Amino acid sequence: MKSIQLRVNGQAVERDVADNTLLIDLLRNGLDLTGTKEGCSVGVCGACTVLLEGKPVSSCLTLAVTTDGCEVTTIEGLAEGDRLHPLQKAFIDYGGFQCGICTPGQIMSAKALLDENPHPSKDEIQSWMMGNLCRCTGYYKIIESIQAVADGKVAT
Amino acid sequence: MASLASVGQPAGHVEGPSKVTGQARYTADIRLPGLLYGKCLRSPFPHARILSIDTSQAKALAGVHAVITGAELPDRRIGRFFLDKPVLARDVVRFVGEKVVAVAAESMDIAEEALTRIAVEYEALPAVFDPVEAMREDAPRVHADTSTYTHPPVPDFVHPGDDRLYPDIPNVVSQVFYTHGDVETGFAQAAREFTHTFTIPPVHQGYIEPHASVVQIEPDGKVNLWISNKTPFVARAQFAAALGVTEDRVCVNTAPIGGDFGGKGSLMDSVVCYHLAAASGRPVKMVMSYTEELSAGNPRHPAVITLRTGVDADGRIVARKARLVFSCGAYSAFTPLHTVHGSVHAAGPYRMPNVEIEVFRVYTNTVPAGHMRAPGAPQIVFGVESHMDLIAQELGLDPLEFRLRNTLIEGDAAPLGEKWKKIRCKETLEAAAKEAKWNTEKAAHVGRGIGMYDREPGAFGPSSATLSIAADTTLTLMTGAADTGTGSYTVLQQVVAEELQVPLASVRVVQGSTDSAPWEVGAGGSRLTHMAGQATLAAVQKLQEGLTAFAARHMETPPEQVTYRAGEFVNTNGQRLALPTLMAALVDREELPLRYTGEYVAEDPMDVTSFCAQIAEVAVDPATGQVTLQKLTTAHDVGTVLNPLTHQGQVEGGAVQGVGHALTEHLIVQDGAVTNVHLGDYKLPTSMDIPELKTVLVESDAGPAPYAGKAIGEHSNVAVPAAVANAVFDAVGVRLMDLPVTAEKVYAALREKNSAFKSDA
Repeated sequence: MKSIQLRVNGQAVERDVADNTLLIDLLRNGLDLTGTKEGCSVGVCGACTVLLEGKPVSSCLTLAVTTDGCEVTTIEGLAEGDRLHPLQKAFIDYGGFQCGICTPGQIMSAKALLDENPHPSKDEIQSWMMGNLCRCTGYYKIIESIQAVADGKVAT
Repeated sequence: MASLASVGQPAGHVEGPSKVTGQARYTADIRLPGLLYGKCLRSPFPHARILSIDTSQAKALAGVHAVITGAELPDRRIGRFFLDKPVLARDVVRFVGEKVVAVAAESMDIAEEALTRIAVEYEALPAVFDPVEAMREDAPRVHADTSTYTHPPVPDFVHPGDDRLYPDIPNVVSQVFYTHGDVETGFAQAAREFTHTFTIPPVHQGYIEPHASVVQIEPDGKVNLWISNKTPFVARAQFAAALGVTEDRVCVNTAPIGGDFGGKGSLMDSVVCYHLAAASGRPVKMVMSYTEELSAGNPRHPAVITLRTGVDADGRIVARKARLVFSCGAYSAFTPLHTVHGSVHAAGPYRMPNVEIEVFRVYTNTVPAGHMRAPGAPQIVFGVESHMDLIAQELGLDPLEFRLRNTLIEGDAAPLGEKWKKIRCKETLEAAAKEAKWNTEKAAHVGRGIGMYDREPGAFGPSSATLSIAADTTLTLMTGAADTGTGSYTVLQQVVAEELQVPLASVRVVQGSTDSAPWEVGAGGSRLTHMAGQATLAAVQKLQEGLTAFAARHMETPPEQVTYRAGEFVNTNGQRLALPTLMAALVDREELPLRYTGEYVAEDPMDVTSFCAQIAEVAVDPATGQVTLQKLTTAHDVGTVLNPLTHQGQVEGGAVQGVGHALTEHLIVQDGAVTNVHLGDYKLPTSMDIPELKTVLVESDAGPAPYAGKAIGEHSNVAVPAAVANAVFDAVGVRLMDLPVTAEKVYAALREKNSAFKSDA
């Protein structure tokens, strides 16, 4: 057990975690932030993507103890009250999700992309999003959703 | 249909805000006080006798609340139609991954630790993995005695065939014949005959949400179930039967489904989850790992398909005989009803007067198969459409020309005798060929290939929906169907808004539990827009009639002289009554809430189908065999498109599933065990693997859904593998008879072809 302090979606959090506790389990079970989803459990599908110090990570491969002192952002931290983040609105308006299980991860990865490169090309979007599997959409509308935000077409 | 306002709009998903913010709670997200976590020890053997099980060390572990084995459970087999599957193995295991012991503990870590402390002694038995070998007299029997297994009569909504259940052939569960005309007479008329055999391996549905179940038993014994299952009412019936209780003792609660594609229609862990909850006295959650999914989920049936076709001197098909062998794995419990019904497509959308299709479903010591997006059809169509190209090649005909000579046209009877109206087969193929520029020049090692398919809108089983109106005029439609992500709730919202001429935002759509919603078959078989759509339409009409009667009373006018128009009632005197005013009056008279339930059953067989023609354009690297799918054209014969955004979403998502099936996906089974057991090894398409996609909609005005809509859910995924394989042949002249079309296979085939060429020279 180790006591860690971190900030999750801007809130200070202090927890005792076992050495083998994964960040995804701290978020989902410890903090009831179940927006972060577990799919493959081996860092391939991207459903569990969260931002750690602003960078996308697979929370299913991240030991909670390594996040001591860090800033973590999850899907629950994007909207401001009822006001959706432009990516969240775009995914609705452009059909960027269907079942929604991969969507939190998709949106967190897309946010990391736009934070780093606000005006990516279609190829850059396609390449960046390779680590987030979606079985419903075939990706076309995910790419369109992100492109729409990059092009300033989405007002919230 | 120019007057439509809400229908036909590209409305985003009604449940969108909850899904994009992470607020939507899927089954695995459910938390309850005192919740335990369940996990199963699974068989490492494909076929073995269980000699002993020692659970004492597991039971002694702190935090473990229940450990159960098959011998402790009632001897009751479960299933959907064929009741042949034990909840936990009893005496014998029949596939690698079969559940043997179940544990419930205070954390997943403790449950997994407990599994390592269980000792099971097995005696290996002879096993059989190939369905064709399994039918031989000397094959090991997967089930020693099937005489005690029960199944109800084949429901009348399935495609009528000549069914022989458990015929006297080793390991065969069902042998079904579909015939039309006289196939031997047909072959007697043929100028030439062609026979080819194709093999298709199992693939996984690839939903990102693994199966999950939560069971909570109330003090009075009522069972609350949350389950990632798209057909809650059907699940309730199967689950109650598995427990040996009546359906009213079970409530299936609602949770979003994280991807289905046919795979989320079984009970999976729910029954063992119940027994853990009963044994521990606490609620229990079970979530499968993705490794469990890939090794012991419910994948698409592997198949061996032999097609024999007779063609006359003009290149017209006169007879088709098909022998289709599907492996259902160790249990048939959660496979499609009497057979794999995609088999009816073995003649394709072509004119042929004499057809005989023989379908076997066969037990093997492999993971039990299930449903996947158009069950059976992608396997069959890979064979049928590859066979068409092989015949065209032998006849010296262009593959497009050979198909155009044989496609169904208006007035033709379909191969099994169906009489479709408004046949748009040829038009759909021509539209695809035009968009794909079929006849234009291609670069070296670039090829184009065609795949075709047709599927009628789903109709089976009843649908119903309840529409209520609140004092503030908000409308709430309650459905018992789960929206698996297809956008069905949004389409139902559009139907209500359209009929009542109100904004979309004034209509809520909620899924009710099996205790609160009216009975509904649920999602599957491309049926919801049609069936739930019609039930919703019926509910709207009842509500409108009910409100009109109240309005007439309020206006002191006979009801027949009152009409409803966009939120108000008008009588023949020109007197108007706004809906909010009427609702306020009804509040005063304590006549709320108002609820109306619409029901719908499709009485007659469908009289329309939807054709799909797809053309793949590939580039093949002759040095490595690498296949690049450059472009995919998908043309669909559609009715009224109720929601272009979600409709196109089905087209795109299905097409890319087809791409995976064509090029990368394959559950590799060695000695009965799936060996690619994580998503790093089982290759789902990524955003880098998608082709340029061109969609062509060939519009028609005949469909059974509201506003003459058809179906689109199981169309674009089916013919892609055949189109890709045909394109590879066009590009480099090698023909693959099995899936997927990998670089290794193409490279090997190219080497073989080149060495044959050299030795000929």
